[in-house]
Amino acid sequence: MRGGLRAAMMRCGALGCLLLLPLCARVSNAQVLPEQPVSLANGRLVFGGEVTATIAPEDPGFFNYTSYAFNALRNVRFGVSAEIKASERLQLLGEVRLDQGRVLNTYGLYLRVRPWPARRFDIQAGRIPPTFGAMTRTAYGSGNILIGQPLAYQYLASIRPDAVPATTDDLLRMRGRGWLSTFPVGNTTPAPGVPMVNTSEWDTGVQAHVVTGLFDWTAAVTAGTLSDPQFHDNNTGKQIAGRVVARPTAAVVLGLSLSQGAWIDRSLEDAIAGQASYDRSDQTAIGGDAEFSTGAWLVRGEVIRSTWQMPAQPTLHLQGPLAAVSSLIEGRYKIAPGFYVAVRGDRLGYSTITGERGENTWDAVIWRTEGGVGYSLTRNIVFKGSVQHNRRDGGRVRRDSLVAAQVMYWF
Amino acid sequence: MVLKIIAVLAAVSVLSGGVLAREQVGGVRGRLDIRRLARPVERRPDIAATGAPAPRDVPDLRRGVVYLETAPRSAFDEREPGRAVMDQRNEMFVPHVLAVMLGTVVDFPNSDFIFHNVFSLSRTSRFDLGRYAAGRSKSVRMDRTGVVRVFCDIHSHMNAFILVFNHPFFNVTDTEGRFELPSLPAGTYNVVGWYEGEARITRAVVVPPGGWAEIDLVVP
Repeated sequence: MRGGLRAAMMRCGALGCLLLLPLCARVSNAQVLPEQPVSLANGRLVFGGEVTATIAPEDPGFFNYTSYAFNALRNVRFGVSAEIKASERLQLLGEVRLDQGRVLNTYGLYLRVRPWPARRFDIQAGRIPPTFGAMTRTAYGSGNILIGQPLAYQYLASIRPDAVPATTDDLLRMRGRGWLSTFPVGNTTPAPGVPMVNTSEWDTGVQAHVVTGLFDWTAAVTAGTLSDPQFHDNNTGKQIAGRVVARPTAAVVLGLSLSQGAWIDRSLEDAIAGQASYDRSDQTAIGGDAEFSTGAWLVRGEVIRSTWQMPAQPTLHLQGPLAAVSSLIEGRYKIAPGFYVAVRGDRLGYSTITGERGENTWDAVIWRTEGGVGYSLTRNIVFKGSVQHNRRDGGRVRRDSLVAAQVMYWF
Repeated sequence: MVLKIIAVLAAVSVLSGGVLAREQVGGVRGRLDIRRLARPVERRPDIAATGAPAPRDVPDLRRGVVYLETAPRSAFDEREPGRAVMDQRNEMFVPHVLAVMLGTVVDFPNSDFIFHNVFSLSRTSRFDLGRYAAGRSKSVRMDRTGVVRVFCDIHSHMNAFILVFNHPFFNVTDTEGRFELPSLPAGTYNVVGWYEGEARITRAVVVPPGGWAEIDLVVP
């Protein structure tokens, strides 16, 4: 009952925002709403903001659920970002987001230190942006050309850092059920699995960034992993991540990302201690991405391969770590001032394991295609509409098409 | 000899006529005194960036535009449409304010080593020039009068104004706010001081025959 009431309230909220934003457009024209970042104290304090209302029908296949257990296509998000420039050498940056009217999250909060301001070298410490991958830097939603998110960054696989299968059949039973999975070892309460790269929350650690000629280099040490970012370290190992970006011409951006870190929660380590020889269980990922743009065209592609080492147990017979590969290509074409069309093709595949009934992928392979349009009423009020088709070779709902609409205002 | 005398008389006549014509036109000059200058638009806090952005230039916001609200009839004589340039340099449009006549073609060269994407959603002129690299330029013909707000689709802090007039009596002030509107016949005119998107002040001024009217427009 309470869930139904909450859903109804969410729908009303989303609809309210959808209706209010065009009004805001008029008001914005009258310059009541800010149309640029709010700057205080002589530019030392700068605020930006974003309001996004997204509406779509129910998603019975849970294709668009995030690690916060809500549907990314049925959401109202308020985000406020701020930068405090203490000096040329020291800045504090942060962002707070409110999703669904209930999930308040300090998305990022970190200190940026620039020891030599004339050089492009920075150290960032705190809750820092992901080092890995290209799509984390497009600042979804303002950088998202569509409404749905890329599978690698949102879709939940069944595995969890606090619970593991005792046998391969335990794992195969959870195929296509990443939104709420359960395993017999560790925490047996049903809970969401993990995405390949979690962008719903950020990791905590230290990041160094330097620009040399055509190359951007970033390296980070953090408490969590790509799949499971942490505020406090939840196990005995840190994650090391690195990324290099090359810009051979203004039109082309090429990136290569790597990361490795212990991903299994300490509570699970304790639960399986003594059962078998224990090796550190790492998530290891490698990704390559490319972006090409010219004129009215923007094309991006990314391939990521991630492996998760499962803690060794006498009954769990795996040939090696569980692997997943995501591949994505998306493009945008501006057909008129303020009006564009966009399309994305996305696949998330998994390695095979052997159970009692034979060989199968350890999670259901999923394909997603999404096409849509975007229209800018003003520079900072954007309407989007899209049709998303999901297909999966497992789970209770194997196919679903969703129509979504979104309004976004930012300053 | 007679021919020479006639030629000299004709020349004197033309010159005196010219002098007379110059004496009959004057102008308005003065200062647009902006007491509270706007601040450059800051970059949006880019929380997702792994490092600080490259340094950029900030636009000169000391300049405004002074123009006549209504122009004398002679202003509408047919003229050749001109050409103007709004450069993209170090993540900034240069100049920040451009005032042109109707029909002017504005070039937008990219002088940066990064991409820019000039666009405007203004009713006066809607355009999107797409992404293009250093050394390349695209242009837009200004076919309607009014204010065109210009932005970059990639760098949200880049913005500029183009004011399009159907007469030539306008002037972008210098950094001290000084302006000059020459070649005006004697008469009474409304002079408008415009600054950062708004007409901030309007004053009536009388231009004497062949003389200059001095006016200071103070915007508190």
